[in-house]
This record gives sequence, C-alpha cells and structure tokens, in this order.
Amino acid sequence: MREAFSKEKWKYLFYTIRHPMDGFYWIRHQERGSVPIAILCVIIFSLTFTGNRLLAAFIVNKIDPRNVDSWFELLGVLAFFLLICVSNWSITCLLNGEGRLKDIAIAIGYSTVPITIILAVATALSYAVADNEQALYSLLVAVGIAYGLIIMLIGIMQIHNYTLGKTMITLGLTFLAMLIIVFLLLLLSNLIGLVINFFRSVYIEIIFR
Amino acid sequence: MKKSKLIKFIFAAAAVLLVAIVPSLYAMAAPVPYVCYNYDYRENLVYTPAAYEPDRAITTDQMEYNGEKVGTLNNPGDLCKAPDGRVFVADTGNNRIIIFDDQITKVLGIINSFNDGKKEQKFKTPSGVCVSSIGYLYVADTKGKRIVVFDNNLDFVKYIENPTSEVLEESFVFNPLKVSVDYAERVYCIADNQFEGIMVFDTDGQFTGFYGTIEVKISNWDKFWKRIASKAERSKQRLYIPTTFTGMDIDSAGFVYASNIDSDGKQGVRRLNPKGEDVIKKGENGNVGGDLRTDGVGTYAGASQFVDVVYRDNGIYSCLDRKRGRIFTYDHEGNLLYIFGGLGTQEGTFQMPSAIESLGDRIVILDSNRNSIFIFKETEYGNLINEAVALRYDGDEKLAVDVWKRVLELDENNELANTGIGKAYLTAGDYKQAMKYLRLGMNRTYYSIAFRRYRNNILKQNIGYILTVLLVLIIAFVVWRKVKGKKGVKKNA
Repeated sequence: MREAFSKEKWKYLFYTIRHPMDGFYWIRHQERGSVPIAILCVIIFSLTFTGNRLLAAFIVNKIDPRNVDSWFELLGVLAFFLLICVSNWSITCLLNGEGRLKDIAIAIGYSTVPITIILAVATALSYAVADNEQALYSLLVAVGIAYGLIIMLIGIMQIHNYTLGKTMITLGLTFLAMLIIVFLLLLLSNLIGLVINFFRSVYIEIIFR
Repeated sequence: MKKSKLIKFIFAAAAVLLVAIVPSLYAMAAPVPYVCYNYDYRENLVYTPAAYEPDRAITTDQMEYNGEKVGTLNNPGDLCKAPDGRVFVADTGNNRIIIFDDQITKVLGIINSFNDGKKEQKFKTPSGVCVSSIGYLYVADTKGKRIVVFDNNLDFVKYIENPTSEVLEESFVFNPLKVSVDYAERVYCIADNQFEGIMVFDTDGQFTGFYGTIEVKISNWDKFWKRIASKAERSKQRLYIPTTFTGMDIDSAGFVYASNIDSDGKQGVRRLNPKGEDVIKKGENGNVGGDLRTDGVGTYAGASQFVDVVYRDNGIYSCLDRKRGRIFTYDHEGNLLYIFGGLGTQEGTFQMPSAIESLGDRIVILDSNRNSIFIFKETEYGNLINEAVALRYDGDEKLAVDVWKRVLELDENNELANTGIGKAYLTAGDYKQAMKYLRLGMNRTYYSIAFRRYRNNILKQNIGYILTVLLVLIIAFVVWRKVKGKKGVKKNA
C-alpha cells in the first residue's frame, strides 16, 4: 500500500496530466500508475463536484442546496466509475486492446484530476465574479471538463495502443456495453426480488398453516 | 411511590404543554376557508398569512327596493364599479341590471326595461356592464345583439349594434359579452365567437377595428405533423384558433388589462397599449398565468383559467381564476404578490366565479353559480404588501423599507419584501446590507449589481496592498527560478 501511494507515483500523476501521451504509455508498460491513487482521485473529484454545487457563490450557483446529497453523489460517481471501467474493459478485451482493467481504472481516475482542480479553482473564483463576468466562470469550467475528457481519450488510446478512430469506436461500444450492464443489473435485481418474494410467501403460507 | 410521582409530573408537563401550544395553534391558523400560499424563487409552494379574508356574502333574497323583494340573482355575469362608488351588477338570467350602493348593503335601483325613443325595450341576457368615467352606463346585451348606452340619469342614449366592416365576416353575429370604456369614451367589447381580438368602437358607436389579437402559437412539432398528415386527417385535427379574451379592465392611462384562458398556464392576462400590443411585464419567472404547480389528476388539475381581471391602483392588478376559484394579484413588474380564495360552499369560497371588482380596500367577487356577491377585506398582511408596492410604484423605495420590514415580521421568507429592502439599501449605497437582503430575496440580478459595487469598493480601498503583494510574489518567483536553475546546472554538471 505504501508503494501505491509513494512519492514517485504522485509525481507521475501530475506528469501524466501534463504529458498524457507519454504518461499513459509508461503507465501501461512500466507500472508507473497506481490504482489506489486513481480511486482516491475519483473520490476527491466527487467531493469537489458536490462542493462546487453546494459552495459556489450565489451569483453563479442556481442549484437548490436541498437537492444536493454528497453521500449519494459519491456513491453514484464511484458506481459510474466502476461501470465505465468494466464496460470499457469488456469491449477492449474483444477488440485487441492491450490495457488491463487496472490500466483503464488508472486512465479514467487520473483524467478526473484536471476537472477536480479546475472545479475547485472555479468554486473559489466564483466569489469574485459579478453578473457580467459569469461567462469567465463557465468558460473556466468548460475548459477544465474539455481537458479532462481529452486526456481521458488519450489515456484510453495509449493504454490499449489504439488509433484515434478505433478509440472512438470502442468508446461508442463502451457506451452500449454500459447500457447492457445496467439493463442486466436491473433485470437481475428484479428477478432476485421475485425469488425472495416467492420464498417469503412460501414461508408465510407455512406459518399460517 | 416514586413512580406515581413521575407519572404525575409527566401528566402535569403534558397539560402545561397542551395549554401552551393549543391556543397558539389556533391563533396561527388563519380564519379563512382557503389555503393561502405563494410560490418562492424555485417555484416551491410556501404558505403565507392570508392577504384577504372573507368579509361578507351578499345574496339579494332579503333585499328590498321600492317595497318589493329584489329576489335571487340568476346566473349574474358581470359587476362594475361606477366612479361615484355605486356598484352595477348584470343579473343576466333575470334580464336586468341591479344598482347597489358603494358598500353593497342596499339596492338603489333596478333597470328592468328602458325606452329607446320608439318603444319600451327589455334586455336579453345582459352579461356585461361598465360605467365610464363620465358616468355613462354601458350594458352588453348579449342576446339582444347590442350594447345599450345610458347617461348619468339612466336615460337611454343610443345603441351600439350591427358593426359593419370589411374585416368582419358576412355571417358574423354580434353577441357582446363584456364591455369596457376608456377615458375617451371609446368602447371595447369582447364578443362571442370573435377570435380576432377585442372589438373597438369610437365615440359615435362606429366599429373601428380589432384590438390586441392573441397570436396562435404553433410549434415546429405541430407543423411537422401537419405536413405529413393527409387532407382527410387534417380536416379532423383541431383548428388552431386563438383563445378569446374573457374579461377586461382599463386603467386611467388607457391601458387595457384583458384576461384570457391560456391552456399552458403561462400568460392569462395581457396589458395592451393603445396600439393593441401586449406590454405586460412577466416578472422573474416569466409567468403571469396563475398557479405554477398545476399537476395532478381530475378536473382540479390543469392551468388556471382567468375569467376576469381588475386593475387596482399603483400598478397592482388581480386576476380571477375559474379553475380553482383563486385570486392572483400581481404588481406592475409581474411579481405574484399574494393568492387567496378557493372553491367550495363556505362563505368566501366560490363555485363559478365570474367577475371581480375592487372597492377601495375590498375585493368583490361575483359568483354566477351561487348567485352571490362575496366581499373580501384586506388583512394587515395584505394591506402592508399593497402599501409597500404602492410606495415602490411611486418611487419611494426608502419609505417602502419600513413597510417591507413589517411584512417580514408577518412572513419571514417573503422574497418580495427582502428584495424590496435590498433594492432600497442598494440605492442608498449600503452594499453589504443590500447583498444580505437580495440574497434572501433570491434576486440574482440586483444581488450581482450590489456585489460588483461592494467588490470594486474593496479593491479600490486596498489597491496599494494588492499591488505590493503581487510585486513581492513576482520578485520571489523570479529569485526562486534563478536559484533553482543554478541548482539544476550543478546537478547536471
């Protein structure tokens, strides 16, 4: 565990954000990345996201704080993270992707970092903008998200050793896979519910015999 | 022994609590037979004190005029206040006009018939009535296909009938429903089955044209379906005809407030300028259509249906909703001030409200199903809001602050009050207080202005420090770069 959080790994995280092409390549081939750090990044991203929704200044923040539940959002983000990783992995396995589940998790986890940083900066900055400077705030957030998405794309491309076109195709398929997984999970939970219900009714019947 | 003492103590405590809580609960519950609420910034329901409470219900059964019983009203259609304070009611089902005194306590006159110079005439279902500023009485005699004009002594003056114009269809039958008159004695008339707008007649009674046409909104989606439909299908689809106006009132400057039934619940009232353009202000949420939350099932759900509107002083106007029997009051900026009224059979609730009029601090509602007139009087809460809005309308924002603060005592979360106070602080230059109140009032636009001035003030005062810190940081950065650079060189070497 200590190794997973070692200084080199942290340094390499920031190197990867700045040089995604190189960074993700050596993550795949030299074990430079760290899954625990990636998961931590996702957790911090979730907290920052909630924090932005709750704490951004009144002028830019139109969200009703009563609708924000940080715990629920954390679980949601983590579940979504898991879903993306698994579905991407299941697609790329079939399409000659070189990346392991571990690498995918790192690629996606690391690419949330710029979004996290910019959201935090934007939240702080929102206390200094007035009405006509709102565009600045939105632009900042948009740039952060765009940067995050781009390095996520590069990351997935590099760890699987794909071309850009193939990455796009696999991402489209990943989206389909996500839908299928969600559908199967719903089906499964529904069926399990039916089975449980069946045994409960049997139990009740026996009790009242 | 100890146990029984404990039980006794608990009982005593419970009794004390009951005594303490119950009266206050009764005091809190407004003695009105309807729910009083408003919508906050996020369009959530918030309960408010009652702005108006039922004062009296008037049925004419027991009233007498010239020694004769007046009898029950029958499906009355309209009611109107004359400049001298008298109240005219169109008793549609009984084909007569009843004149009340300014408090609606006794009957001053009944017009059953009139002499038009040739012979004695009777009304045929008169459903609209209006008194002009010079005291002339205009009656929309619906089935009689005419508007009858009387002078101050209630003597017949003229008919307005048979409008002729190129823009009117040959088959058009003039069945006036509502009538209103502006300061120049121009006559505005809402006629049955007339979708083009309000009909305007000049002083001579000549039809001059339509006014304030409601445009039909056709979405692109509808257009798409229309295009792919066949002719046979198209003929069976519903026609896109504009909704008609349902009621109107004219303010002293000649602006016509006209209500209409909007199925989207977005805009149930229009303020028409002399050119017939809608110049109403719709407030923060862009809505002057009554209830914002209209979901649900059954006949009680759906958008509010405004059947009449009354312009009160200082830019305030009230709309009467037939759907749920509520009265929505807006100010000149389109802010929803308060809501009261409801459907029911108690005093102060309606079954089929048809007309609204304001008599000073009272609001009068005519119910054409219960055949009664209901008078509502303003409560302290309603009075304070009216007063504050009036002060702001006149530009006395500073004076309004005290009134708004009293509103806050009664209704702590009143966003209008908070915004009003905030705006006053903003003009006074107290930006910190302004920000506080505008935040509570959820008014982003003005909060933003206050915030910008507040921030710029701080920046101006501290510009010296800020620049110094910036300079120091830059120097530190340059030095740090140099030192680090040297180290790097050493390492490499």
